[in-house]
Amino acid sequence: MSKKIKHWIRMFNKQRQLWLLCIPIIIWVVVFAYVPMYGLLMAFYDYMPGMAITDCAFVGLQYFKDFVMSPTFLQLLRNTLAMSILGLTIGFAAPIVYAICVNELRSKKFKTVLQTTSYLPHFISWVVAGSMIFMMLSNEGAVNDILIRIGLIDSPIPFLTEGKYYWVMYTLVNMWKGIGWSAIIYISAMSGIDETLIEAGAVDGMTRVGVVKHVVLPTILPTIVVLWIMGVGGILNAGFEQHLVLGNAATQSYWDVIDTYSYRYGIQLGYYSIGTAVGLMKSVIGVILVWASNWFCRKKLDTSIF
Amino acid sequence: MSRPFYIKQTKAGRVFDVCNVILLILFMIIVVYPFINVFAISLNEGADAIKGGIYLWPRKFTLNNYKYVLNNSDIYRSTVVSVLRTVIGTVTAVLGNALLGYIVSCQNFAGRKFMRILFLITMYFGGGLIPTYLLMTKLGLVDTLTVYWLPSIFSAYYMLLCSSYIQNIPEALFEAARVDGASELRIFGQFVLPLSKPMLACIAIYAGVGHWNSWFDVNLYSKSGTWDTLQIILYRMLNQASALKDMTDSTMLAEAMRGLQPLTIRAAITIVVVLPIIVIYPFFQKYFTSGMTMGAVKQ
Repeated sequence: MSKKIKHWIRMFNKQRQLWLLCIPIIIWVVVFAYVPMYGLLMAFYDYMPGMAITDCAFVGLQYFKDFVMSPTFLQLLRNTLAMSILGLTIGFAAPIVYAICVNELRSKKFKTVLQTTSYLPHFISWVVAGSMIFMMLSNEGAVNDILIRIGLIDSPIPFLTEGKYYWVMYTLVNMWKGIGWSAIIYISAMSGIDETLIEAGAVDGMTRVGVVKHVVLPTILPTIVVLWIMGVGGILNAGFEQHLVLGNAATQSYWDVIDTYSYRYGIQLGYYSIGTAVGLMKSVIGVILVWASNWFCRKKLDTSIF
Repeated sequence: MSRPFYIKQTKAGRVFDVCNVILLILFMIIVVYPFINVFAISLNEGADAIKGGIYLWPRKFTLNNYKYVLNNSDIYRSTVVSVLRTVIGTVTAVLGNALLGYIVSCQNFAGRKFMRILFLITMYFGGGLIPTYLLMTKLGLVDTLTVYWLPSIFSAYYMLLCSSYIQNIPEALFEAARVDGASELRIFGQFVLPLSKPMLACIAIYAGVGHWNSWFDVNLYSKSGTWDTLQIILYRMLNQASALKDMTDSTMLAEAMRGLQPLTIRAAITIVVVLPIIVIYPFFQKYFTSGMTMGAVKQ
């Protein structure tokens, strides 16, 4: 026993420099990552700034109940699910279709130019993206102008100020910003396809459609499944910065999601406990959803992320 | 990959190829067009631009928007803050994550697993917005430059990226240096850093772009306006433009008299904000996929 302790002390002494370097890092991670986790406790207390959380009045699940019972809850849920589902269907399929199309291109040069261009919107902030989108979609903007000129519409469509366009606009804008970037993972998976598979298929008379169906799709299927699981787990994440930039008072009943509600109550209005409770509830349900969809995929599809 | 020669080319296949190229060119145009459009508007006279109908180039060319933007003291100030934040944030994130990556890659280090787990947990659990916000308030970081870079020095994701790279450097090299009496910091500075330049470049780009683009934390923590960045100026302009559309603000009216409009000024600011990204874009594009694939082989 004492030999073991001696060994440990010797080891520690030998590695004291590394431990010394670790100290500030450990302090950092405790302060900036673990203290906020402890702060989640305030969801169960009537937190007052300046007091220790546990000194405040304990309210239990009161704030969670209040939130679920509140009249805005159903609207928030509707908006969150609507935009998530649009994202998980159209928004999810688009990069896959795009990746397959890129994979079918013959010119290497065009492929490179196309891919490099398609990443560009991923690297701009939502504020910049919003600024451009406002210019494109305003009543005098290029999109309305073009639609009027080719005679599709008579008067400009108020994309930005009428709520009923918001969900579709949100989905399309997200796609504009993300297709190229999301497709990288599929395209790189496709580049790893074993050519001999296709050669073997060709001997049996496989067509190009056949190559896509029997070689390309099965190759990227595990990636698709994994990303979809993560997508389902994040079904309650229906954008945040996007809504702060693109949304306005006129369209609020369509863009207000759980995250923006939590931000508005928790920070703008100063109801810290309510905001935290809403955020915490969202995260817990999210974790359960990831586990559930992962379980489903492992049972039914033989692929899983953990 | 495209079509290998041994797969028969059919008529339908040829039609598809043509349509495919056309559609993808169209896609490329849709991706790039908003950038061109905003550039054209930024070079147009304000009063003329609000009538709409500007597509690819300005109708009434002027540089007044840029003159206004470049002479505006608020914008000048916030540019300095943006640059400061990006430089400090990038340097600290690169050095911090490389150091952390080195520590968790030292094969014999007893605390290796502990440090890894300590950070991996933060990948899956977090305190969320409000507890973090209250913490920053309590630490007195509101209205400081520190709040932008200090909470984002280390990240579990970059740690994994760094350690997967550093693990490929032969451990014997570090061991030899240790035997010769080099301190850990010296090994880090003289061996790890020079040997992992591509990794450092990759993190620098991601962290740098992230810092330059970040605006929500500025919105939260820059209360007095001393540490406003360019992004937040643009954000406020966006919000105000939609809020003040039919209000006759006196300063806006005065600007309108000089042929300036919020729309064209906003366009000019947008270009100023996005320009650094576009300028460094050709240099960093070779690191895009390397970052993605490095992340993929994390364990």
